[in-house]
Amino acid sequence: MSAAAPTLIARRGPADLSLGVWTVAAAVLLFMVVVPLAWILVASVHSDQDNRLTPANYIEAFTTSIYLQPVRNSLILAALVAVIAVVFGTVLAWAVSRTDMPGRTLIRMLTFASFVTPSFLGATAWIFLAAPHSGWLNRAWVALTGAPRGFLNIYSLAGAVCVIALYSYPYAFAFVSSALELVPSEMERSAQLLGANWLRTTWRITLPLVRPAIIAGALMSFLEAIAEFGTPAFLLIPARQQVITTQLYLFFQYPSRPNLAAAYALPLLAVTASLFLLQQRLLRRGRFTTVSGKGGVRVPFRLGPWRWPVFAICMAPPIFSLILPYTALLATSLSHAWGRGPVPGNLTFAWYHWALVENQGARRAIAHSVSYAAAAATIATVLAVFSAYAVGRRLLPGARILGYLAMAPFVVPGIVLAIGFFAAYARPPLVLYGTAWMLIVAFATRFLPIAYAGSESALRSLDLELENAARTLGSGRLRTFGRITIPLLRRSILANWLMVFIPSLRELSSAVFLFTPATAVITNVIFDLSDEGNFEPLSALGIIMMGLTFGLVAVAYRLFGGAVFGQRQRA
Amino acid sequence: MTESGLRSDEVMPGGRTLSRRAVLGAGLGVAGQALLGADAGGRPAEGGVLAHAVGPAAPADEAGLYDAAKKEGKVVWWTAHYQLDAAEAVRDAFVARYPGIEVQFIRQTAQVIYQRLTQNLKAGVRELDVFASTDEAHYTGLKRQGVLAAYRPLGLGNLPQAFQNVDPDGAYHVGALGLVIINYHTKLTIPPQKWTDLLDPRWKDQITVGHPGFSGYVGNWVVAMWDKFGWDYFAKLAKNNPKIGRSINDTVTDIVSGERLVGAGSDGTSLDSKSRGNPINIQFPADDAILIVSPVAVLKDAPHPNAARLLESFYYTKEYSLAMSKTSNYTLRADVPAPSGVPIDRVKWYRNKVERLEKGVPEAIAKWRETFGV
Repeated sequence: MSAAAPTLIARRGPADLSLGVWTVAAAVLLFMVVVPLAWILVASVHSDQDNRLTPANYIEAFTTSIYLQPVRNSLILAALVAVIAVVFGTVLAWAVSRTDMPGRTLIRMLTFASFVTPSFLGATAWIFLAAPHSGWLNRAWVALTGAPRGFLNIYSLAGAVCVIALYSYPYAFAFVSSALELVPSEMERSAQLLGANWLRTTWRITLPLVRPAIIAGALMSFLEAIAEFGTPAFLLIPARQQVITTQLYLFFQYPSRPNLAAAYALPLLAVTASLFLLQQRLLRRGRFTTVSGKGGVRVPFRLGPWRWPVFAICMAPPIFSLILPYTALLATSLSHAWGRGPVPGNLTFAWYHWALVENQGARRAIAHSVSYAAAAATIATVLAVFSAYAVGRRLLPGARILGYLAMAPFVVPGIVLAIGFFAAYARPPLVLYGTAWMLIVAFATRFLPIAYAGSESALRSLDLELENAARTLGSGRLRTFGRITIPLLRRSILANWLMVFIPSLRELSSAVFLFTPATAVITNVIFDLSDEGNFEPLSALGIIMMGLTFGLVAVAYRLFGGAVFGQRQRA
Repeated sequence: MTESGLRSDEVMPGGRTLSRRAVLGAGLGVAGQALLGADAGGRPAEGGVLAHAVGPAAPADEAGLYDAAKKEGKVVWWTAHYQLDAAEAVRDAFVARYPGIEVQFIRQTAQVIYQRLTQNLKAGVRELDVFASTDEAHYTGLKRQGVLAAYRPLGLGNLPQAFQNVDPDGAYHVGALGLVIINYHTKLTIPPQKWTDLLDPRWKDQITVGHPGFSGYVGNWVVAMWDKFGWDYFAKLAKNNPKIGRSINDTVTDIVSGERLVGAGSDGTSLDSKSRGNPINIQFPADDAILIVSPVAVLKDAPHPNAARLLESFYYTKEYSLAMSKTSNYTLRADVPAPSGVPIDRVKWYRNKVERLEKGVPEAIAKWRETFGV
């Protein structure tokens, strides 16, 4: 929140048209964020059987041992993910930001690619690679060593932890590398002058300086992991382990218990919200320490003979998150039957034909995904820019609340948001369920914080002079906003749009609750196919989805350059 | 628990003395049904309000129904009956016979489509025309809610007599026959011969099964095993550490890929996979294959009521049975031979009664959860 700057224009003059516009924005936020969450609360205290007011759901949810076990599993899973992701992320961030390691841009790009790859796709690929008997890596191991069986078992808690960590380390990477870029080299240089080698310097000086960013990155990965639905559904159900999100999904299966699900979901929300607040505090503190440095020159460490070994270490996460999985997905999508492995005679393009031409369901799903993601991105971007403006320029009484509302979905796991949407908008008076709007509004809400954070920081960097000049010359608030502010923000708005579009395109955890077959998106079809072990068409669809995503990323990169992706810190 | 179901050597399900209408229907096939159509609108509903006729009276002959359906342009069909490619084959055959009507379908596990239907009904969303689950208990529940349309599809008389009147009110009819059998990887020279063989420790880490919370076939199988052998069967099975998928068709994927060696799977999907050259085969268990009679029904609020009736009637055409046979599923008509080579009346089977399934499946899901942890 900016400080005293905007007071010049903060006086609320005679109500002009603009007040109405921003009130509408506030109402929309209420509808997207507050109403669904309120409905979860209402549902949680009503009985599934006769809709009576009762605390019984909470009692059942948190005294029944089969419902408590998933909570334990989720906490263990998320904690382990956080540890592994933060180790990967920190090592890579340090190597990329502080050393003269070769291929720094490559590592940065690969980390971004891991970030946009949904972990459920990675999980599927890892089934091909590391299923205990049939996984290709296990088979190769058996063939090479003559051992009776391979040692990898992806259907396990360890398997799920590794897969999720592989796709959430980019958070730690982003936090730590941006912190490291602010740390001046002087202290490190002093340590080295006093005789410490680079390892000791890093361990004793550099890392402690960015400790808040490291912890924030760990919390972020923890949040990601505890809210993750696809990977546990694919890997942990066969392993006979349930986590909170898969348990929530089961509550919606036959015999369905939506109100019990609401009671079960709320504590999850409390955990994520408090972790987020903790993370915000840490980041604020972190920023303070590092920025206060004297702004000395930053000299990269000379790794000397260690340059290539460090590079090799840094390639490990991308190899496991991208190179092996995409190879496996591609090979499977081109196979008649993946179990036969990549042998001649097994090659076919039939699944792409199936997805793009033959199967009308898959074709429709692709069209839905693209159009819903585009609509969601548009709604989120417009809403974000209006509300960030209203907050930044204090246009409404209590404008700050708007900002909190816009950021709130950030702590709401997708599956919980979906339960709220379902409770709120699958019943009269406003039935969105069954229409495209159910998914569009849910996606827009879920990723609104990305757009909001982007708009807020862009607005803050904008000098007020230009707006004030326009106002002085007699232009109204709305006109100034449209003619001056928006054009100045154009780049940031386009970037925000993309940063909402990309995750909306691959969103699974809320879509799986909110779609009906008439509104299915790619991820729904992927989830349905996984249900039956139809891995070949699933892989083809996954490759198509990621082809769309990476194509778009490439276009954006050409248009705006790398800066576009600099601000994906939210997320 | 003890066996309460029907066995192949006992009275056939829904069996009753041959009525004149059934004889006529069976003899005359589709054309005969068309002639009979007018008076064949299902037996008068005993429950009165339990099942309802769809809106305006249905055209009683195929041509009239087709015309009316063509005006509606499409039909929405959710099925759990068979694997995806069988559903696609049915769709293709339907469209070939009735050009101008688009078939929008999804193939998902029974509990999942049932759940989606329930959600739609609660939200008042009218989307679905024809509902084809594998859990007969879904239909008795839906019928009680009054959401199914009483309709006697054309050509119903082509069905083996024993399966013609599964619901006395005609709110739903048999849409598919299938079996839960033992499926296995062909590298096994001697597969398990009966269900209790799966408890042998030699199959540790080698068994694959679906989940009763997702799959109607699996729910049916679990209730049957429970009644035959007691829940102890699953306590022992758990010691062999089976891999638990969701759909019963997951077992085929696991066996074909070599991930597991034996499973409790469906005959159709296994044989279909075998026909494509995969290393899988089926074993009819000596202690009974589990017969799954999967119903099909038209919804009372179907957005495309005539197209829905046409699709339901299509189940009893020769084309439908040919599509079944092509994808290795049991055919509904005697004039198209069963792909397994064993006609349904020669299989030693056991079938859960619907009353048992209604109560038994939810209980089985809960008990499963305790035993297997998921």
